[in-house]
Amino acid sequence: MSDKFDAIIIGAGPAGSACAYTLAKAGKEVALIERGDTPGSKNVTGGRFYTYALEMLDEKLCEEAALERPVTHEQFMMLGGERSITIDYHDPSFHTPESVPMSYTILRARFDEWLAQKAEENGALLACGIKVDDLLEENGKIVGIVAGEDEMYADVVVAADGVNSFMGQKAGLIKDLDAHTVGVGVKEVIELSPDVIEARFCLRSGQGAARMILGCTEGIHGGGFLYTNQESISLGCVFMPDQVAQYKKSVHEIYQNMKMHPSIYSLIEGGKTIEYGAHLVSEAGYRGIPSRLHREGFLMAGDAAGLVMNTGYSIRGIDLAMVSGIAAAKAIIRAAHPYEAGPLYMKELENTGLIPSMKKMDGFFDILETPWIYDRVPNLATGVFSDLFSVHGQVPQSIKNSVLQRIKENRLSLWQLAKLGLKGVKSL
Amino acid sequence: MSGIFIYSERLDIASELITFAREAGKPAVLLALSADAAQSAKNLGADKVYYLKGESPLAESYALAVAQLLQKQGSELFAVGATASGRDLAARTAGYLDCAMVSDVLSVSCADGQIQTERMMYGGAVLQRETLSGLSVITVPPGKFESSPPGLAEVEVVEVSSDPRVRLVETAPIVRQGTDLSKAERVVCIGLGMEKKEDMKIALELAEVLGAELGCSRGIAEERHWLPVEQYIGISGAIVKPQLYISMGISGQVQHTVGIRDARLIVAIDLNDKAPIFKAADYGIVGDMNQVVPMLTEAIKKMG
Amino acid sequence: MSRIVACYKWVAEEADIRINADLSVDLSKAKGKISDYDRNAIEAAVQAAEALGGKAVSLTFGTQKAKASLKDVLSRGPEEGCWVNGEEADNADSSVTARALAAAIKKIEDVSLIICAEGASDTYARQIGPRIGAILNLPVITSVAKMTFVGETLQAVRKLDDCLQTVEVELPAVVAVLPEINSAPIPGLKAVMAAGKKPVTEYKSADLGVDLTPKTQVTAFKGYVMQRKNIILSGDVGENVAALVAALRKEGVL
Ligand SMILES: Cc1cc2nc3c(=O)[nH]c(=O)nc-3n(C[C@H](O)[C@H](O)[C@H](O)COP(=O)(O)OP(=O)(O)OC[C@H]3O[C@@H](n4cnc5c(N)ncnc54)[C@H](O)[C@@H]3O)c2cc1C
Ligand SMILES: Cc1cc2nc3c(=O)[nH]c(=O)nc-3n(C[C@H](O)[C@H](O)[C@H](O)COP(=O)(O)OP(=O)(O)OC[C@H]3O[C@@H](n4cnc5c(N)ncnc54)[C@H](O)[C@@H]3O)c2cc1C
Ligand SMILES: Nc1ncnc2c1ncn2[C@@H]1O[C@H](COP(=O)(O)O)[C@@H](O)[C@H]1O
Repeated sequence: MSDKFDAIIIGAGPAGSACAYTLAKAGKEVALIERGDTPGSKNVTGGRFYTYALEMLDEKLCEEAALERPVTHEQFMMLGGERSITIDYHDPSFHTPESVPMSYTILRARFDEWLAQKAEENGALLACGIKVDDLLEENGKIVGIVAGEDEMYADVVVAADGVNSFMGQKAGLIKDLDAHTVGVGVKEVIELSPDVIEARFCLRSGQGAARMILGCTEGIHGGGFLYTNQESISLGCVFMPDQVAQYKKSVHEIYQNMKMHPSIYSLIEGGKTIEYGAHLVSEAGYRGIPSRLHREGFLMAGDAAGLVMNTGYSIRGIDLAMVSGIAAAKAIIRAAHPYEAGPLYMKELENTGLIPSMKKMDGFFDILETPWIYDRVPNLATGVFSDLFSVHGQVPQSIKNSVLQRIKENRLSLWQLAKLGLKGVKSL
Repeated sequence: MSGIFIYSERLDIASELITFAREAGKPAVLLALSADAAQSAKNLGADKVYYLKGESPLAESYALAVAQLLQKQGSELFAVGATASGRDLAARTAGYLDCAMVSDVLSVSCADGQIQTERMMYGGAVLQRETLSGLSVITVPPGKFESSPPGLAEVEVVEVSSDPRVRLVETAPIVRQGTDLSKAERVVCIGLGMEKKEDMKIALELAEVLGAELGCSRGIAEERHWLPVEQYIGISGAIVKPQLYISMGISGQVQHTVGIRDARLIVAIDLNDKAPIFKAADYGIVGDMNQVVPMLTEAIKKMG
Repeated sequence: MSRIVACYKWVAEEADIRINADLSVDLSKAKGKISDYDRNAIEAAVQAAEALGGKAVSLTFGTQKAKASLKDVLSRGPEEGCWVNGEEADNADSSVTARALAAAIKKIEDVSLIICAEGASDTYARQIGPRIGAILNLPVITSVAKMTFVGETLQAVRKLDDCLQTVEVELPAVVAVLPEINSAPIPGLKAVMAAGKKPVTEYKSADLGVDLTPKTQVTAFKGYVMQRKNIILSGDVGENVAALVAALRKEGVL
């Protein structure tokens, strides 16, 4: 075995494996290095995946991918006190026999392992249980990596090591994390039989639901999510850690309270927790992307490059990770010389529409900065519904009055709500 | 002579296995592999003693001779004391006979020509019951049966050839330094979470105020040699039944907790709230032992 | 060049075993691993190969699932891998396993030493080493805590219940080693990378020409669950200690 590879990829998450897959398929010698004992063993994610990214990797891959349930039911839930509102959007066209469903729920331990194995089948050399400690630099170029006692060289090193990229920091492209732009997520996988899941979410056999939850974070900037897998439910939430610290609560406590909400508890009752984990997630969107994603001999992809879109109603990171991994691979394949890979990579990211999409969605960051949408808005909404559905045999309040009173009760003003609405329209 | 054939270099286990044969209603036939052993075996209460006389001082080297004897005499079962050397002889004999063997039985019974055994699998997470038919081999740990009343048995000397290939160079007795944990009323137990040997002080102080013995997980004894091997608890170590067991820095893998199943009260102190020891504990404190344990010692002291 | 065979078993991670309410055992969610102490056996084979100027070869008898073990084991140092592939491994008893392994060892040329671990993490039966010795009619040394080689002579220190015993044997032989014999290192990047390129020989169990029917009949396989109070305190240490002492007092153990 020669000691020099065409590319070394650090991290076998979706970004790294997609990159290795594409490179290996093109006949490049690639090493894919993962610190977990198996790919995905340490990875925490909500659990929704958009399939276009897999089709971009290889057309037939969706058929055999380790996926859970196609998402046929998009749901939005607001919690206010003990009350809750759930909106269910069912779109059969999201799941037709003719085409690949638009999105699936996934479990990362299975999905990542499968994807890395696909890269391996294409000829990538996968090394698990190995943590990359440092980069090798010569004459201002990145030329390889250090892991424990061993050094290994490559024309290009791709950092696909996830959020808070240690490699990006080593390369000097990423500064220390800003607690303001990074959320912390906790997530649990709760095992339940398929029948129970389908009954509780009104699903047909094989259908799946994805749910975003607002009002479950005790006023802290953040939200919850719930995904139905084949034989389990992924439940979790994401918060801004600096705010959690201010409230003197632990993320774990807030999450436990959310779990005990009557409308959530009834969904998971009797289930068995089979996995629990916490992980960081970039919240800044477009403005969180580092100003440079490459150096000579070095590219960053996926979370390492800040490529995550959080709109409040969905977090997208896995698909973007794969798209950027493919883009990095294509750039490496096309580059006649390692120094061309960086600029080619940026061009690919533009062409695939990834960076432009993130730019478009940038306004969401400001909306999500609005502190009162995390408790007062859900309280307001559930309050209005309470008035709407309460019948006590007395002359009811007019709906308008009830709404105004609930706004006041929640220390909000029409003006504030109108401003938020405007911001929303502007950013869409 | 047919019946249950028994071997253990430990006379206590040999005697217990004679009781087992009696309970099964079978003749108890004892094997001795040295002149000394034959001398003591004679008085244990067996129906018969075969003294296999060969050259080797190593019991294991008689496996082929034992296998041939068992076959010739039409033995139904070969029950061996579960010691390091007994297990070796038993497994090699089973290998020569190519027959069934169950190691370290939790329980064994014999009825209608069938042997039923129970043993632990996966470090104690699973209990497996098996049925053996035909000539089979088992190894039995001490304490499974009462010892049999003494009685004189006829000794038949059989000249055999032992395996000469493994030669004994020297034997150095291991001096037993540890205490017998199986009888301790209280046990304070340390695990690999303890960083330095000096930190054992906090455990010793707690043990002192409680009047407890000090126990440990396997790694503390076998790898770090901080405590004698008799002091480690678990499937390959001591089985304890104290009123109170307190662990610190023990993650609680099943191979360890299997040794404390009969403790009345289990208390665990560990940094990691996900450590499996908490599932096995009655009371647990999530925290750093260096902080928790001295406070606990003080609090108990204050109670007087 | 003489070969030193390291036998290892691909077992279910016991921490992943799930016990259902009816005490039935669910192994389907358990990850596979090289049996804990077999890692020491593998390392012992690598060291012995160095001392003897031979070549370490790994050997396992396992189902299709054991395929995943090959890269893992080869990253730990052996130069070749050997896999007896058979679904019978799933319900093999010690007699079947020993027969299958012995038959495979016969197919490997120039074997001077066969190393097993003391016991596998699932069975912990401590039978396979001695049984292989009996089947192949080779001398056996168990409970080995130390090995030294002088020419073709192996001197081994055995740790028995009440003594340390030093014995000697001319190779070929079978040994069963204790985990204390070495501390098995975690493989590094180059070792892991090299593993994928090492040669592997696969035998189908059916081609070994041995009987693969178990001699013991398993009649029950039940999980064990400990019922405990599980009162776990976290947070303020002072309060927790006070609460614990109060509880222990109430329980009457203080
Ligand atoms: C709570 C939560 C919910 C989310 N929900 C969703 C969702 O529903 N849908 C969605 O699309 N996205 C979601 N995301 C975002 C998504 O998980 C990430 O964007 C995605 O995983 C990024 O993939 P990646 O390959 O870039 O990085 P990762 O998946 O983080 O992979 C990085 C890999 O690199 C390895 N690694 C790190 N350092 C080293 C090193 N030094 N040496 C070797 N290996 C190393 C890691 O072990 C890991 O396997 C969520 C994130 C969180 C935290
Ligand atoms: C066939 C076989 C037989 C075995 N037999 C036995 C046996 O008989 N007995 C036995 O014990 N083991 C046995 N083992 C080993 C067993 O599987 C475990 O590896 C072992 O018990 C782990 O020991 P431990 O809990 O001390 O260490 P670890 O598993 O390393 O746990 C250390 C714990 O300390 C905690 N910790 C760290 N720092 C602190 C701190 N400052 N304060 C508080 N807590 C801290 C950690 O959170 C962790 O939970 C056997 C294994 C096999 C394969
Ligand atoms: N299926 C197997 N394949 C290879 N080696 C095995 C197998 N089963 C047991 N062994 C070896 O024999 C040792 C003792 O196993 P056991 O007698 O089952 O406790 C193990 O530690 C391995 O070294």
